[in-house]
Amino acid sequence: MSGGGEKPELIINGKRLDGRGATDLRSLKIEPNVIKNAAGSAYVEWGNNKIIAAVHGPKEALPKHTSDPEKAVIKCRYMMAPFSSLEGHGRTGPNRRSIEISKVTKEVFENVVMLELFPGTEIDIYVEVLQGDGGTRAAGITAAAVAMALSGIPMTDVPYAVSAGKIGETVVLDLNMIEDNYSDADMPVAVKPLTNEVLLLQMDGSLTKEQFKEGMEMILEAGKKIHEIQDAAIKRPYQEIIERYER
Amino acid sequence: MQRIVIPGEKISDTSVRMHNTLIHNGKTYSTIVGLYNDEKSTLIPLEGLWNPAYGDTVVGVIEEDRLNTYNVNLNSPYKGLLISKFVQEQLNKGDVVEASVKELDKTQTVVLMRPRKLSGGKIFSITPSKVPRVLGKGNNMLKELSTSTKSSIIVGHNGVVWIKGGNMQLAMDAILRIQEEAHTSGLTDRIKEMLSKGN
Repeated sequence: MSGGGEKPELIINGKRLDGRGATDLRSLKIEPNVIKNAAGSAYVEWGNNKIIAAVHGPKEALPKHTSDPEKAVIKCRYMMAPFSSLEGHGRTGPNRRSIEISKVTKEVFENVVMLELFPGTEIDIYVEVLQGDGGTRAAGITAAAVAMALSGIPMTDVPYAVSAGKIGETVVLDLNMIEDNYSDADMPVAVKPLTNEVLLLQMDGSLTKEQFKEGMEMILEAGKKIHEIQDAAIKRPYQEIIERYER
Repeated sequence: MQRIVIPGEKISDTSVRMHNTLIHNGKTYSTIVGLYNDEKSTLIPLEGLWNPAYGDTVVGVIEEDRLNTYNVNLNSPYKGLLISKFVQEQLNKGDVVEASVKELDKTQTVVLMRPRKLSGGKIFSITPSKVPRVLGKGNNMLKELSTSTKSSIIVGHNGVVWIKGGNMQLAMDAILRIQEEAHTSGLTDRIKEMLSKGN
């Protein structure tokens, strides 16, 4: 997957391959409550990423030894569909990559969900990537946050995630698959918007201190927009019913 | 004025002690998706789980008949437990019972009391946070439902509803409509209209 051979030109005249500037997000659309059998669910289209996230529970933690008598445990499954991507990225079954992303997603939600309210139970998060085009872990977390809020499980905040990276010496926001493969750095970050606490920070490649700061600023700026879209998505189902009767 | 809030959304600039909120830097934030009313300063959850409290009525299904106890499925993270000593009639696996909550012990088990077997009828579940709206003020909504559909209806605080007899389909439709439109005003009138039309 790594950019073997010659590096293609990724920024031409200040514009990226899909016509975006360095600080532009791809188009983001979130559809709430798409799975009827889940406690909460969301479908997200982020550029060419298509992801479904669903939250089940809290329910009795099984097998029993995984339960914690003082708080709920979160179990997360991130999976790419076999048809989701070119090449070997989206292999079925758990693999090194999907186990890693499941783990980091789980840890994001352990820090926002009020687990102490449901001791001895488990909360399941499922993130299914139907079509992947770079930044699926960030999109997955963003979708799962909406699903978690809609499930009615108390949480301190609705987190969002987005990645920043470096192409040549330019710091850019929200990398897609081609940029990710040939970029010099890729840094997905999950943030709690209320306090700007960082819940996830990973990095491939290298950034200087200044580039890191620049990337973080871009992420926090873009985060306002992402959080607004999440906010609207969570409120939409209720707003629609209110508007039906009150004009 | 009512507005919908999401987790992490500020509801007040001062610290107000309320259910489902957290205080950060002297300001109050919601932790749930809910309906916040500025004037009454109330936060009503729109989605949510059942918090067992003493005396809550629940409807459950007998899951297992153990030596001295019955395990009851309450459609929630909590397990229901009935002590055989206090059960007057013979209960079998699959029977539907109505009971009230005696206590919640440390292992997340709800100990039940005063069980009553419900024979026949149908059960279905609704979101537990919408139960108060289905009951109405002083159980008025429930009375309205059962008198105009002539069904006997029991609504458990755990979100399980049992109905029998009368116009069951209409009663069920009405309850599901209350669940969906619980956060709108003028709901009682609309339900009354729906019930009178359906009959």
